[in-house]
Amino acid sequence: MTEQETNFHFLERFDKRVAQLAKQAEEYVHTDPDSCMFKLRLMIETMAKKLTELQMRQDISQDLGSMLGALERNGIVPRRQADSMHAIRRDGNAAVHGNPTPVPTAMRRLKEAYNISGWFCKIVKRGSKVKLEHFVEPTPPIPVDQETQQLHTRIEELEDSIEHRRMTTRESLLMFGPHEDIDVVTKRIYDELEALDKVAATAGEPIIDAELVALVMAMDLEQIEEDPRHGGDSRVAKREAEKQLEAIKLHLASREQEFLEERSKLMRNRDDTIDS
Amino acid sequence: MRIQNISLFSGSQELITMSSSNKEQATNPEVATLWFLAARTMAIAGGELPSVQEAATGLYAQAILGFSEDDCRQAKSPDQIDNKTLIDCLSGVRQLSKELAEKILTGVMMISYADRTMTPLEVRWASMLASAIEVTPDEFQKCCVNARVIASMLRPQGSQS
Repeated sequence: MTEQETNFHFLERFDKRVAQLAKQAEEYVHTDPDSCMFKLRLMIETMAKKLTELQMRQDISQDLGSMLGALERNGIVPRRQADSMHAIRRDGNAAVHGNPTPVPTAMRRLKEAYNISGWFCKIVKRGSKVKLEHFVEPTPPIPVDQETQQLHTRIEELEDSIEHRRMTTRESLLMFGPHEDIDVVTKRIYDELEALDKVAATAGEPIIDAELVALVMAMDLEQIEEDPRHGGDSRVAKREAEKQLEAIKLHLASREQEFLEERSKLMRNRDDTIDS
Repeated sequence: MRIQNISLFSGSQELITMSSSNKEQATNPEVATLWFLAARTMAIAGGELPSVQEAATGLYAQAILGFSEDDCRQAKSPDQIDNKTLIDCLSGVRQLSKELAEKILTGVMMISYADRTMTPLEVRWASMLASAIEVTPDEFQKCCVNARVIASMLRPQGSQS
């Protein structure tokens, strides 16, 4: 690929601002990977804003994490794209906070941004045909020496390992396992439940009080907490559950911090070698 | 004989303790399988599978039921879950300690509240679980209230910045 060429030409027809940010990220990937990450993060943020404007009616916080969460929860951004967008958001934030971005990490995120872009175009202009070509890695302005190449290989291995660990965590949280065909399982369970429902109805088995369920569902949390029968218990339960949820979130956040430190350590080792 | 008395929301490896000494002890992944089966059945009964329910299922398993990441992954492995029917699930939760079974019922109700509607099939599944666990109307009401409270927490806004 020559200097004038870019992987992101196709984006211009769909969103000039996103295309410009993508091209800038591409230009910086070798010379200034931190700036590459800033641009990629901004690119994702611009995409997320556009998607929330186009696809969501309710007001969404303009914070990127919240926007991505809302888009994912509402089924607008599929899981694979959401994972990539979150990875860019995390690494972009890390770069903003002074954690150096290695070139292989920025390159990985650039490729992910490329794949997301293809999907994004189809969403913003329904029916548009976007056929992504094979992503061509921008060439470094000066040849990479052997030592840097070795470091890049180690960083690639580390990134693979981080991705694997993230995937493991992700799989543990999801409702279905990676081997399962969700449509097949859904049909099987639905059929079985319907059959059980018919048996129960035929046997005249009383069902739970649907009115009660509807009432509780309609109640505001404040009403529940003020209710003399539930108030005390509910508040205690809420505090306990909040603590336990917080513990899991802290655990997940500390894992991400560990990943960042592993990456920073590799970069520091390299800097120490150069200084000596 | 109940071996351990636990509070409704405590997460612990010992949660799988059976309520009766003559019942076989299930392993954590086995109990986690019951949870995932019960939860996904409720989600499927609701008609669609929005991702909020997906994420809430795993968070509840780890934060409230106290399962590890490994337990949750093993619970969904083919040899663990592929051959399990809803009858197995109902029979399994019946074998659990009352406290743990109530937590599972609470979580299942939380799944049904995620979209703030409830279909007749969802009501039926809740009813079947409640019957299997043998909860009283008061206990069921407590589960519903707690489910409502937790459902509000598992849809955090702005928590991922």
